Amino acid sequence: MTTPTPGLSRRRFLALTGAAAGGAFAVGCSPASSTNTPAAAAGTSSSAKGAVTVMSQSGEFGPKEAKAASQALGLTVKTVEYDLTKLTAMLASGNPPDVVRGMGATDTAYLAAREVAVDLDPYFAKSTLIKADDIDPVNDLWRFDGQKQGAGPRYGFAKDYSQDAMLWYNSALFDAAKVPHPNSAEPLSFDELLDLGRRLTKRQGAKVSAYGLNANGLSLFVTLCGMTASAGGKVLADDLASVDLTSPEALRAITWYLDYAKAGIGPTVLNPDPNGWDGPTFQAGRMAIATDGYWFGGLFGGDAKNAKLAHLLPAPQFGTGTRISPCYGATGLWMPKAGKNKDAAWAVMEWFLAGDPAKARAAGGWGIPPLKSLQKLMPQTQPFQKEAYQVQQAEQKYFSVMTFTPYVRLDAIDAIVGRELPKAIKGTTSAAQFADTLTTQINAQLADGKKRLR
Amino acid sequence: MSSTLTEVRRPAAATVTAADRRRKPLRKARTFYLFVAPWLLGFIGLTVFPLGYAFWLSLTDSDGLSPRTHFVGFENYVEIFHDPLTLSSLAKTGLFALVTVPLSILAGLLLAVMLNQPIRGRGLLRALIYLPAVVPPVGAALTFRLIFDRDAGAANGILSGLGANPITWLVDPNVRYVLYALVLWGCGGAMIISLAGLQDIPRELLEAAQVDGASYWQSFTRIIVPLLSPVILFQVINGVIASLQSFAPLLLSSGSLSGAGTVPQGNYLYMIHVFAQYFSASRFGYASAMLWMLFAAILLVTLVIIKVSARTVFYTVEPEGKK
Repeated sequence: MTTPTPGLSRRRFLALTGAAAGGAFAVGCSPASSTNTPAAAAGTSSSAKGAVTVMSQSGEFGPKEAKAASQALGLTVKTVEYDLTKLTAMLASGNPPDVVRGMGATDTAYLAAREVAVDLDPYFAKSTLIKADDIDPVNDLWRFDGQKQGAGPRYGFAKDYSQDAMLWYNSALFDAAKVPHPNSAEPLSFDELLDLGRRLTKRQGAKVSAYGLNANGLSLFVTLCGMTASAGGKVLADDLASVDLTSPEALRAITWYLDYAKAGIGPTVLNPDPNGWDGPTFQAGRMAIATDGYWFGGLFGGDAKNAKLAHLLPAPQFGTGTRISPCYGATGLWMPKAGKNKDAAWAVMEWFLAGDPAKARAAGGWGIPPLKSLQKLMPQTQPFQKEAYQVQQAEQKYFSVMTFTPYVRLDAIDAIVGRELPKAIKGTTSAAQFADTLTTQINAQLADGKKRLR
Repeated sequence: MSSTLTEVRRPAAATVTAADRRRKPLRKARTFYLFVAPWLLGFIGLTVFPLGYAFWLSLTDSDGLSPRTHFVGFENYVEIFHDPLTLSSLAKTGLFALVTVPLSILAGLLLAVMLNQPIRGRGLLRALIYLPAVVPPVGAALTFRLIFDRDAGAANGILSGLGANPITWLVDPNVRYVLYALVLWGCGGAMIISLAGLQDIPRELLEAAQVDGASYWQSFTRIIVPLLSPVILFQVINGVIASLQSFAPLLLSSGSLSGAGTVPQGNYLYMIHVFAQYFSASRFGYASAMLWMLFAAILLVTLVIIKVSARTVFYTVEPEGKK
């Protein structure tokens, strides 16, 4: 049967449109962009009523917290699981959540430079729960003045914080390996730490049944920055527009990490932890030493078995005379400028960061409270909590922060590190070549980001 | 009298027939477009418009967030041809399509031929083999991650049982084979399509060939494959498009769409790079340009396949539009 339609046949029409749809699907999946100025009209909503959407992790601000917030504040509070992809798409489409989880240490400069986050100073000024003299200095990580972090308006607030290079160890694995417990009053040197990791790793044939050490921390790039600082150097330039990982101090940090990775004693990009993070692996007795801050102790409050085994240690050092113990996260909440219900969003933020949930977090040992008045609630009832509290108090003297660049996201830098690292671990490239490649590629990204912010 | 009436009626009847003949194609075309209109409207609203928007984005340096966006012309398109990561990801994607599309179709066809035989429990076997195709991709990828984990996975457990050393499956270069296995695991979909095609082949043709003394191989290559060729063409076009847009490596590496940066280089396909540009590097302009290039590549590849298929695909019924 034929159709006298000249030109495009139906079959061809369907084939071509099918192909076009296939290709277009790929293009069409690009999220809409808000190249328009964010709708930040003052007085969009002046009353703390209506609906608020919070994007966070369900373990931090999930449906349970949303229900409690709704009851406490008389608002409708909904939650969306935190996902960077989803957040970027929502921000780009001009329809973001009202409150978003973020890491003050690495997100603030990026968000502020792009005029995405609300300047919260007016809200802090009229807050009844958060007083200026009660704010822990760690919250300065959420400030950016256009040039540097730590000054200027506040764009968010930490829900809790930790000194993220500190270590937790499992004493049962030390005992099983007949390795003496480390002294929690003194920091380990990185060499001692690597040696411990080697001795504590349990193998079954060629397989690792228990990691000796996880040295990765929150992000490998910031971990390397912290280690470089401990070695007496710095990675990010003062203008935040370039990095140098080829300095002797940075190379010392990189060489140490490559030694760790080549030893096969802990998770790396070549042998990732199947659990994705330290918690379940440590609790299952499959990780002897984890690089996690005080907050990690919150896991053991209700875990009687691990409460007897878990111990906190100071952050390891290179022994150059510069003892530091940095905070890499200061995880908290911020408000997108394009949010529709800012007053209500602030009410939810204030309640979560300084109200009853903040007290519960403080008492549960989930990090150091960002308000000085809540720090007295940090738990000391169980022996491990008391010990961890004392170690943490002693470590506070060495608290430090690291400024992050406004020009690229940490994810973009970590992607470069993750892409080049396997070659260095396998020995295809030397530590120096690895450092050189990272420096070149990260600087190219920074230059591109800076150009786009002009 | 009656002849007069006949004479009067004849021209009238002839006029109606001529008008009908003119209107019939128009009516058919109208009906056709009316039927496709809902899809067409959706296509325009949900695809053509975003496509245009993405094209506009591709001419800017948008980061998706900042209000400061600059028009950069075709700078992003030029960069694509100078970006080694983009070019290598494109090459890997081409290789991925070249390997997985024929393998999936062949595996599906082989299974379809086997399960088209009158064997006991073939219904159950068909269901079991098709089952992986309906498992959500995220679930399948997570399962594969667990199976191929170096220290706790079943694959290395079996190797250990056989006295062999464990293999780090989920990193380069082995992760590529895990990815191929993951794609092949879902070949039940191809099997069902081929099975439907096989059951549409007239039995008389095969019986006639048998009577003429043809072997099974001759019947397969001279009758079954030619009659299945439209079905195979359908699978080739869909398979190529799907593999060029594949996200499977991302799911295999991180189990979520946020981990584009964690995908091993062996599996760093084009769409993973696009995703990384959008959501890690926040380079919306460049990523949109990359998608437009992919769109053009898909169109080109599809046109080439359709052109080549004109000489190799056999239709039992002449396709509409062909004289």
